Amino acid sequence: MALLQTLHLEHLPSSHAIHAALYRDIKNATHLQQQLLNGNTDFEYAFIDAGVIVSKIHALAAAYRAVNDLLENRLRSRNVHSEIVFSLSPNNNIAESFRRFGITPTTTNLLIIKVSTPTSPAAASEVQEHLTSSIEGEQVPFEDSVLSQMTDVARIKKIYKLNSGGGGGKKTGQVNGAKGDERKELEVLVLGAMALRGVTN
Amino acid sequence: MKTETKQAVNKQRVLPPVFQYPSAAVPLLITQGAEALLYRSTYLLPSIPCALKYRPSKPYRHPILDVRLTKHRILSEARVLVKCKREGVPVPAVYALDEAAGWLMIEWIEGEVVRIRLNEWLKRRKDEDLAEGVDDEQLLELMTRVGSAVGRLHAVGVVHGDLTTSNLMLRPRSREGLNGDLGAAVNTLEGDIVLIDFGLASQSQADEDRAVDLYVLERAFGSTHPRAESLFGEVLREYGKSFKGANVVLKKLEEVRMRGRKRSMIG
Amino acid sequence: MIAIGLEGSANKLGVGIISHPSPGKPAKVLSNIRHTFVTPPGEGFLPKDTAKHHRTWVVRLVKQAMVEAGVSINDIDCICYTKGPGMGAPLQSVAVAARMLSLLWQKELVGVNHCVGHIEMGREITGAQNPVVLYVSGGNTQVIAYAEQRYRIFGEALDIAVGNCLDRFARTLEISNDPAPGYNIEQLAKKGKVLLDLPYAVKGMDCSFSGILASIDILAGDLKANPDQRDPLTGEVITTADLCFSLQETVYAMLVEITERAMAHVGSNQVLIVGGVGCNERLQEMMGIMAKDRGGSVFGMDERFAIDNGIMIAHAGLEAYKTGFTTPLEESTCTQRFRTDEVFVRWRD
Repeated sequence: MALLQTLHLEHLPSSHAIHAALYRDIKNATHLQQQLLNGNTDFEYAFIDAGVIVSKIHALAAAYRAVNDLLENRLRSRNVHSEIVFSLSPNNNIAESFRRFGITPTTTNLLIIKVSTPTSPAAASEVQEHLTSSIEGEQVPFEDSVLSQMTDVARIKKIYKLNSGGGGGKKTGQVNGAKGDERKELEVLVLGAMALRGVTN
Repeated sequence: MKTETKQAVNKQRVLPPVFQYPSAAVPLLITQGAEALLYRSTYLLPSIPCALKYRPSKPYRHPILDVRLTKHRILSEARVLVKCKREGVPVPAVYALDEAAGWLMIEWIEGEVVRIRLNEWLKRRKDEDLAEGVDDEQLLELMTRVGSAVGRLHAVGVVHGDLTTSNLMLRPRSREGLNGDLGAAVNTLEGDIVLIDFGLASQSQADEDRAVDLYVLERAFGSTHPRAESLFGEVLREYGKSFKGANVVLKKLEEVRMRGRKRSMIG
Repeated sequence: MIAIGLEGSANKLGVGIISHPSPGKPAKVLSNIRHTFVTPPGEGFLPKDTAKHHRTWVVRLVKQAMVEAGVSINDIDCICYTKGPGMGAPLQSVAVAARMLSLLWQKELVGVNHCVGHIEMGREITGAQNPVVLYVSGGNTQVIAYAEQRYRIFGEALDIAVGNCLDRFARTLEISNDPAPGYNIEQLAKKGKVLLDLPYAVKGMDCSFSGILASIDILAGDLKANPDQRDPLTGEVITTADLCFSLQETVYAMLVEITERAMAHVGSNQVLIVGGVGCNERLQEMMGIMAKDRGGSVFGMDERFAIDNGIMIAHAGLEAYKTGFTTPLEESTCTQRFRTDEVFVRWRD
């Protein structure tokens, strides 16, 4: 049973696949972060703290942007994987984005994204194998139902500066009350903030 | 303001570069204005519809000016939409953008523009030979909703710049309505008002700008729905209640009406 | 039928005599002469000096026009003059001359809207059927389309005319006003290549030029104080030619944009450029590219008819006269403000 998901996002070349895996209660966050910092080439992944991810779409939006920027030769960070982490950011501070969204020693839930490109191909099975052997934690389905339990809404609102107004004060005219709708609202605001990275007023 | 032009459709349209890679369905050209093309497509996954606004390069402009303007306009529109969304104004959400490539991906709004719904509704009434006053409640209620939406827009410091009945959408309320009840929805004026097409919008709190927004909408109702024009007062009434200072705008509107288009220029 | 037209709303005094031989046949220009009040570099033209210039030259021009046309007073059917819009004193001086001729020659007067004069002459000379009209001069900037007996204004400059902007910049640079400041800006611009970042002010169908004028004036001042300035983008030294180039590229792009918007709105792909600024080759070129992109074309005229002239007044006036329109003496006033859409265009369907 494959928990690793392989996606081909709309409007990206079929040669660029996105592999995504979600892990709960990881024990070796420090070690994993160290691999990244050392530039260990076996660990070319986007390691994302799942606590700051609202939904699957939130993560995929960052992946789309990063791959798009890769194709347009516009990466601002080291590689497409670090770019995915950076793409989650509402501003252009790369170092800050790693601290906020990337893996840290205190990360307990981890989202991993691997981009397969023609120059660096990565098959799903290889990726899964490597993750299974390297990540000390429980792999869970990469689905909103699981993610939503990991989300730290307050932290997300703080990072994306969504605390004043934020649609909460005024009626939106939508069917209110359901938690799903609140999450959807949060998601679109986050997407907007990401799209406007560095150019908000 | 009509944004379609038949002449340009004759020209073989190449898809914008952003669409050069595959997607589940071929992007569909929805409208072609002087400034931008609007496509229906998908964002990230085949299950998420989106609208893509593409501002092609204009060959008559100096290339540096062209890039500058395109970037500025994409960002400006996105900023306004995001600001509105944050403040609870009913507008499409911004999904993604690439100002260098000249495109903006936003939430696809299901439903139909008020202009068409209104025409259908008025025609149906005429066909069914309904007496005046019957069903006017629905029409009044729609006007109220329009007034409220525009009020909320102005209250957050944004003016639309092109407020016509083609830039107001009626989105069916229940999500499930998309599958089953669409037939029933067609002949009513029900739904949430969603403001669209912010290509000419700006951030302004000036009464003059707000009054001009209302004036354009009033004229739009008048020219396309003479029957509905007389009910525009309902829009203004609701608008007047929607935020502090709205009444000053209504006063300004009287001035704007009298001026007609603009001041005469001194020769 | 034959009409004489007098124009003097700004610093050009024009007298023209036109003949409309018979319906269906093209109009004939019998004479079209003009004398321009040129001021020294760095100076604009003041109303009272301009009025004086017109008063000084009008009789001479009328006599000369009659001789060139080879017509006698008897042949003239009506006397057309510019009612407005324009500068007060110059308009008055020409109106007085028209009234004088009317009384002297016992001919009826026809007051003509200056903008309508430009449009009608443009249609006649180019043969354009129903184009969107861009009317650009020192005093006017409007995008016009005909609908139901009126020339409706779709877009315009909200503060100053584009020609005014260019003329005032010419003054800032102290460029010669001979033959026209705008012409000299154009020549200088041809030598420029750096595109500076100037404010681009288009709001919907309208535009404004005072912002860009203020900016370019400041840049000119900076350049004068520090001639070694370099463009931050390319590192090249900036020259006054670059200033002219940047100004033109930007204001003309604005004009083309609002014209294109109007074209999309009415569903037309023809453009007619009228008014003095219409002589500019770069503007014609840019408009042509836009029109071609839409599968259409641009129509323009040379300086005989593009720049303010008397023949356009005679032509538009005669069209109106033929539908029974006249301006009684008591009503032969002139007005600084006279919107294009105030005129009831009875001579078209």
